This record gives sequence, C-alpha cells and structure tokens, in this order.
Amino acid sequence: MKEYNLEVLKDAANRLLFDMSDEEYQTLLNEFDIIVKQMNVIGENKKIDEYAPMTFPFDVYVTYLREDIAATPLSRDEALRNAQHKAGGQIKLPKVVQ
Amino acid sequence: MEFEPVIGLEIHVELKTKSKMFSSAPSVYGKEPNTQIMPLDMAFPGTLPTVNKEAVIYAIRVSNALHMKIDNELHFDRKNYFYSDLPKGYQITQNLRPIGIDGYLTIDINGETRKIEIERLHIEEDTCKQIHFNDFTLLNYNRAGTPLVEIVSRPDMRNGLEAMKYVEKIRSIVVYSDVSDGKMEEGSLRCDVNISLREKGTTTFGTKVEIKNINSISYIQKAIDFEIERQTKLLLAGEKIAQETRRYDSDKNETILMRVKTDAVDYKYFPEDNILPIKLSDEFIKDAIASCPELMEDKLHRYKQDYHLSEYDASLLLANKDVSTYFDEVVKYTNNFKLAANWINVDVASYLNKNFIEINDFKLKAKDLADLINLIDKNEVNSNQARNIFSKMIEDDISAKEAKEKLGISSQISDVDFVKNLINEVFSENEDAIISYKEGKGRALGFLVGQVMKKSKGRVNPKLTTELVTEELERR
Amino acid sequence: MIKNYKELSIRELHNALVNKEITPLELTKLALEEAKNDNNNAIEYLMEKEALEMAASLTEPEKDNMFWGIPIAIKDNFSTKGVPTTGSSNILNGYVPVYDAQVVTLLKQKHAIPIAKVTLDELAMGGTGTSGHLGTTYNPYCKHKKRLMGGSSCGSAAFVTAGIVPFALGSDTGDSTRKPASYGGIVGFKPTWSRISRYGLFPFAPSLDTVGILTRSVEDASFALEVLAGHDEKDATSSFKEVDKYSEHLEDDIKDYKVAIIQEIFDSITNETIKKTFLESVKKLEDRGVKVGYVHMDNELLTSLFPTYFVISCAEATSNNANLDGIKFGPYHDGKTYQEVMANARTIGFSELIKRRFVFGSFALMKENQHDLFLRAQRNRRHIVEETNKILEQYDFIYLPAAPSVAPKIGEKSDRLSNEYLIADNHLVIGNFAGLPSISLPIGYEGHLPFDANISGRPFEESKLLNIANFIEKDTHLKGIYAKKEGE
Repeated sequence: MKEYNLEVLKDAANRLLFDMSDEEYQTLLNEFDIIVKQMNVIGENKKIDEYAPMTFPFDVYVTYLREDIAATPLSRDEALRNAQHKAGGQIKLPKVVQ
Repeated sequence: MEFEPVIGLEIHVELKTKSKMFSSAPSVYGKEPNTQIMPLDMAFPGTLPTVNKEAVIYAIRVSNALHMKIDNELHFDRKNYFYSDLPKGYQITQNLRPIGIDGYLTIDINGETRKIEIERLHIEEDTCKQIHFNDFTLLNYNRAGTPLVEIVSRPDMRNGLEAMKYVEKIRSIVVYSDVSDGKMEEGSLRCDVNISLREKGTTTFGTKVEIKNINSISYIQKAIDFEIERQTKLLLAGEKIAQETRRYDSDKNETILMRVKTDAVDYKYFPEDNILPIKLSDEFIKDAIASCPELMEDKLHRYKQDYHLSEYDASLLLANKDVSTYFDEVVKYTNNFKLAANWINVDVASYLNKNFIEINDFKLKAKDLADLINLIDKNEVNSNQARNIFSKMIEDDISAKEAKEKLGISSQISDVDFVKNLINEVFSENEDAIISYKEGKGRALGFLVGQVMKKSKGRVNPKLTTELVTEELERR
Repeated sequence: MIKNYKELSIRELHNALVNKEITPLELTKLALEEAKNDNNNAIEYLMEKEALEMAASLTEPEKDNMFWGIPIAIKDNFSTKGVPTTGSSNILNGYVPVYDAQVVTLLKQKHAIPIAKVTLDELAMGGTGTSGHLGTTYNPYCKHKKRLMGGSSCGSAAFVTAGIVPFALGSDTGDSTRKPASYGGIVGFKPTWSRISRYGLFPFAPSLDTVGILTRSVEDASFALEVLAGHDEKDATSSFKEVDKYSEHLEDDIKDYKVAIIQEIFDSITNETIKKTFLESVKKLEDRGVKVGYVHMDNELLTSLFPTYFVISCAEATSNNANLDGIKFGPYHDGKTYQEVMANARTIGFSELIKRRFVFGSFALMKENQHDLFLRAQRNRRHIVEETNKILEQYDFIYLPAAPSVAPKIGEKSDRLSNEYLIADNHLVIGNFAGLPSISLPIGYEGHLPFDANISGRPFEESKLLNIANFIEKDTHLKGIYAKKEGE
C-alpha cells in the first residue's frame, strides 16, 4: 500500500477535483490512521486472500439484455434545463485544451 | 546501430445500433445537438445502465471474425477519471474480462501472409462530443453513450504499411459484419498508435510514444513512417525518447507533440456495481455468430471459386461492401456472373461516379439490372442496345423489357425454322452468290448473311444466322 | 370526519377514505398542515401545490388500493420529475429532475400523494441526520431539539415518527432506514437487495443500496412492499423473482420458525433496558413456539464490519458522485479551465465530511492500494456473508436489538474504537453485505424514548420476515406509536 501523508491526501483530493481546509486534512489523516489500522488487522487473517472479492450481496447471474429499440429522447429543453452555462443549445465551458 | 519498430494499435469502433450502449436513447449520427439524450446520457443522478443486446451481438461477431475466445459471461468495470467530455465521471468498460481475447488476423504484404495477434476486444461507451472555439468549448451529448468496441492488437507490427493493412482489415471486418460504418473521417473508426523502437535483436521494449486521432487510413502509414524516422534520428543522436502523446498533421506530414505523459494515469478500475454479471448462453453466442453477414475474405473466395471471377473483378466489387451486396442480389437473378460483374464495375460504377451517388441510392433494382444482363446473355440485344436500354431504364424508371420496347428494339429472332425459311428465300434470289461461294469467294457468305438480316429487318440473331447460312451453303 | 389521522394505520386511513369519512383532499390538507407546523427541520421541499392538485383529482375511491389518497413523504435522494431534488447537498441546489424514480412512479400510479421531499444526511452518506445542507434534523420525541433522529433517512423517519405521514420512502446502505427507525420507535424495513428498483435513487454504494420503507406498522410496511417490489427493466440489477402478497401472510403460523441471536453482538450492548426488553420479546416468541438459539460469530470479524463497510461504501461513493460537477446540473461556478469549473463546484458544493469520504474511497481504489484496502474489504465482505449464511442455513432469522441506545443526544461522542460502537452500532450492515431483508420495529421505551429490535431473514423471504415481525409487534403492543405533541 502507498504511504499516506498530507501531500498524498491533498493530491488525491485535487485529483477528485476539490480542495479542503488544512484542518480537514488533519481530521482525514486521523481517520486514515484508524481505518488503515483496522484494515491491517483484517489482513492479519491468513485466509483472507482465499475469499474471492465480493461485489454483489449474493452471487447472481442474469441473462437480461435490453432489446435494441430506441426510445423517445428528452427534448433539448428538458436535457439542458438544469445546465446553467450554455449557448446555442449546447453546454458551454471554458476552452478545453486537449 | 539498427532499430526495429514495435507497433501496436488500439482501434475504437462505433457500433451502429439503434440505441445507445447503456441507455435507450437513439444512437444516430448528425442530428441537432443535444436531441438524442436519455437521462443516463447526461448522468442525471439516479439513472442506471442497461446493456444493449444488439451491441453484445455485434461485439461477438467481430470477436469471432478475429478468431478470438469469446467469454460466456459479460462483466463490466468502471474506468474513473474526470474530463469535460465524460458526463458520469467514469466510463463503463470491460477491464478485467473483455468479451473477446487472444485473436488474430492476417494481412497480405507483397504476397506474403503476416499474422497479427490481437490481445483483446472489449465493449465500452463513447464520450460526448466537444466542439472547440477560440475561447470556449461546446458540449453535445448526442454521442455520449454510443456503443464502442475497442480492439487492442499485440505490438506485432513493424512498419507503417503493416499497420495500414491491419486497419484496413479491421475496417473491412466491421463493415462487412455490418456492425459499423467504419468511417474514419466521421470518427466511427478511430485509431491510436503506440510505437517504440528497440535495437534489432533485443526483446525489451523502448519508450512508447502514442499517436492519437489519425483520421484516415492512408495517414496511418505516413504518421508511423514519420515517427519511426523521428525516433531513429533521436536515438542515433544519443537522445532519449520521451513518453508522450503526439498527433499527426497531414498538411505537414509530421507528428506533433500534444502532451508529455508525466505519470501513468490511475483509472481506479473497479467492477461496475449497477450491472450484474450476465451469462451468455452457448446458443446466444452461436446465434450471434450465425447472424454475421459474409465477411470480405469469404466473399472473395466465393466470387473466385463459385463465380469464376478474376481477382481483379472480385476485388473491385468488394472494395465497397454495398456494391458487393448489390452484386450478390443481381446474381440471384442471372447466371452470367462475369457479365454482371462487368456491368456493375463499369457501367453502374461510371453512372454512380458521374452522378455522385452511392450504390444504396441507385435507382435501378438489382433484379432489373439482372433482367437486362439476361437479355444480353440470350443474345436478344447487343451491348450497344443494352447501354441504351440501361440509360432509358434509369431515366424513365422502367423495366428492361419496357425500355427495350420504348426504344423500339425488337428482340432478335432465334427461331431456327423461321431463319431457315428466310435463308431459302434469299438463296433462291441470289444464285450467283452461292456459286461465288462455291468458287471459294469468302465475301459471298457475308453478303448472304447480310441479305437474310435485311430481309428480317435486322431482327434475326446474327450468330445463329451465320451458322445456318454456312450450314446451308455446305449442304448445297 | 375522522378524529386524529395520525392515530390511524394505512388500512384504517384507507377504510376512512373508501367510506368517505374523509376525502383525499381533506386528508392531504391535514398532513400538509402538520408538515408546515413541523419544527424538526425535516423538509427539503414541501410539495403543497402538487399534493393539493393530485388530491383534488381523486374522486373515485379505489377499494382494492391501499395507497389511494394516502399522504406520503419522499427522501430527497429520489428523483422526482419537476420537483427539486437535492440529496440534501449544496451541489444539487436548484436541480429539478426531468424524470421520476421508479418507486415514485409506482406510488403515483397507486395515487399515493407525496406531500414533501424530506431531508437526509448529505447524499445519504451519514448516520446521524446532521450533515444535510439544511443542518440537523431533530428527533420529534425531544421537543427541545436535543436528540438525533439518526440517518441518513432522517427526514423520512422524522415525518413518520411525528405521525405526519403513515409511510415515507427511505434508503438503506448501511442501516440508513433501520437505525433512524429505532431512534423514532417506528418500523424501518430494508427488503432484499434487488427486490425494489433503484432507478432514480441517487446512488451511494449500489452494491449495498436498497430502497427503504418507513411506517408505523408491519402491515403498512407489507402494503408498501407490495407496491414497490418487482422487476424494472430500467434497473439491470432488479430481480425477476415473483412478488408475493406479503400482507396476506402476516397471520401465518410462526411456530416452526427458528430464530438465531448472535451472542457476541448481543453482548456488545451495555444498555440494560434494551437488553432486558429484547429478551422479553424473545421469551414471547418462544411462548409462541418459535425455537430460539444463541449462535456465535467471531468478535474479530464483527469488529471488522465497520472498516469493511467504510472502505467499500466510500470507494463506490467516490465514483458514483463523480457526475456532480456543476456542468450538466447544479450550481455552475465559473473558472478559467473546465477543471477549475468542476473543482469550484465540487469544493463549494460538497461538505467537508463527504469530501473526506471521497478521498478515502479514491485512495482505496488506487492501483497500489486496492489489494490492502478495496479488495481486502470485498474479500472480508464475503467472509462476513459466508458466516452469516451459515447461520441462516440453520435458522430462519437473526434477531437482535437494532441499536445500542435510544436516540443519542446531539453532540454526544461515542468511542469509535469500542465494541459498543464497532459491533452494536454497526451490526445492521450485515443485512446490506448479504442483501438480506431486514426490519426494525419498536419493542420498548427507555424513559419516554422508544427503541427498536431488528430481525433479518433470508434473501427474498420477505413474507416470512413480515410474518414473524407482525407477531413481535403484537407482543409489544407498540403498533402505531408516534411522537405526540403537547396536548395530544
């Protein structure tokens, strides 16, 4: 596991596109200490890696696939109603530099 | 020092399903911006993905055409990253279990067959379309969620030509299996190139450079060849290759730096928690494969083997899938395959060219063209007459028979008794000519045939007439 | 005209409506009036106009439809077309959805009348009812606003606890329906994962998220499930299993049922009133012929419940909320680049509490950390689920106190490393890990404050679960209790 410190957490937050106050980072560091320690305890169980990671509550398979039928789409007004920054029927952003 | 280029391609193919990959919004190119959207496509909170059955069928078709192992379970993962064109903040893709793995295709390089291995084919979704202006960018979500398959080759290619042939082959497969338009210019087939150089004889990989957004097949070769040269020069000068992303500028015929890759992006993949694993029954996979239209290779084989077309004629027909489909339709109604191929490759092609239309917009139905070909085949019209009939059919939107009548072209008469009667009449009127013939004057034959033709007002079949006149002369 | 609608169950209200003792409009007006007078800070958006309009249109009573004309409340993390939906987060201020959640559609089809969108912990990521953008939602049992409602379905619980509506939609990722239910002495029901469509429920951690039902009786909960359960083609995880007539099995014989009590969880509780009351309830079940057995679960495994939940839920949440960037909906904040635009929206829009969770979740998903954090948590989840399923092979149900205490005082600190916290305060999450149907219902009071027990069954055995819960309810005589106002 990667070492965590203030820098690492700040970087992680910035990659999630937000920032927090220094005080919050301190709180977060403390939370990390607790949870990481608890996760290490789980890791002490020698058999833990024998359990396959579980994503869903029970192992279910389905066969359902959606038929390829186009539905009536939203009107442009509906689709863009909640966007606050737009122009000419499209959402507008500062120039995206590729 | 000699270098060996190591080239791998990642090809994104837009599937031409009616609805999107995970939403039921219509998936249609070229509509008004932001009018092909369901709530999921703009990532409205609470919306959930459902998997498009047809897209899965298409992915299976392509996997099969690429000789891949097809997974009998569908698993999806999330690729997490932020970008302005990614509405959900993640892309649903298949990371751990792509639907197809370990395939290959073969390409022909100067008569030699090269096998290019393919690592994986996975299903994913497209992003929204950005249009960049001087100081702002506009977002159109119509494309967001369009089904894609990504085909990742192994780094098996060694030069631009191989890469180009590889893309051509992939393109022909997705077009012929009827899963995509495969239009690079419109972005329905997109190609990213990974290229590195290593000292010949070594097996470790050099630093990889990515070339993105090449939008034409011919540029692939040019971009790669330029890049090989660029990297070779750098290496020979003792410089290092930077890990970077470049793009190809077709005007200057060179690759241009877009960005240097600092650290590898961590996409924080994890299983998509809104889609349960989906079992694909053997029958489903079998049916998906069976539903695949004939691929180009198979058609080429059929044209040569069953229709005895030349490689040249066959390839010409196959250069455009829709043209070959038209041909397939025509030969349902005629057995003169060679004539059908000629007519399509020459007369139809030149008509389409002249009028700037695609075969799918061509007025003449395949059956009508076949009727015309059959008239020629049965010697009822000659080729000049046929061309006139062809034009008339298009002009007046009528059948071959109607056009022929309208043009006053009467059928050639191939009734042996009728012709023999005429011959007898002509012979009794032209005793001199018969004597001339017996004396060995060859011209007399032509004269007699001409007289018979004249008497019939040009309606008797000239070939048959010549045969019968000769026969009659020999008998006397 | 009926006397006090708050005293009545859905069936009783239904009878009154069908017998025209009261009209939907009159009932809706009463409920709206109560909602307006509510001072527990439970309302995100009062649907007054919408509710009155809908109620006025209901003139022909539907005698086979329990929800006809019944006022209800909707947790504000369910998408409601044309009605603001914020998830109690500033990042969604002003957002007006263009579509209805499937459960909202189903309730509307039944002519239930939503009167309010109600508060939650911000984006359902909390268990206290204090972290929504409107601040703390108070427990109606404490007039001085000193007690927690609990969360994240705090507004739904407060509305049902105060008697304003007989039913509210909640959601449950860790215990978000069942815990606040306990603090309010009401019924909080989390059906089997995938039993109810999640389409339109703002996702927190989809592998755990379940639509929740808050009522004041087991029968009401069974009516609600009958309306909400079933496959929805818009939710690829929703089950195709047939939906039972749950309310018709409430009186079935329960004497063959076997109930397990997990000793270590019971032992982690220190509150003697709760323990004693719970054991009395157990005794009454035994008197009815139910077999009760004490089973064991490793203490170490139980103390891992919380970190396992924390890692999985934060990891899923960080991804599920990546769509919130102010571009497509929610407040737009300008910037020089698109990254700045998104970062401004997210920095301003999210509270610090959930930012911390996002950072943690994101860290857990990083390539080099997955093995030790995310995947380890997922592996441990399987370990927990396997142990739980072993119990459910022998027993039909697991029965336990729902929480270690009555509604805590606001600001009261718990020792987050104690067993009391790690086990007793978090054991309901087992139901989410294993996807079990799980229901909390009141069994007693400490002082004037009620508390619940919780019983969970096997996946898709809701009929049996509601059946036994109905008998527990009979034994406690606490059906229909609510926080009365002075003078009531």
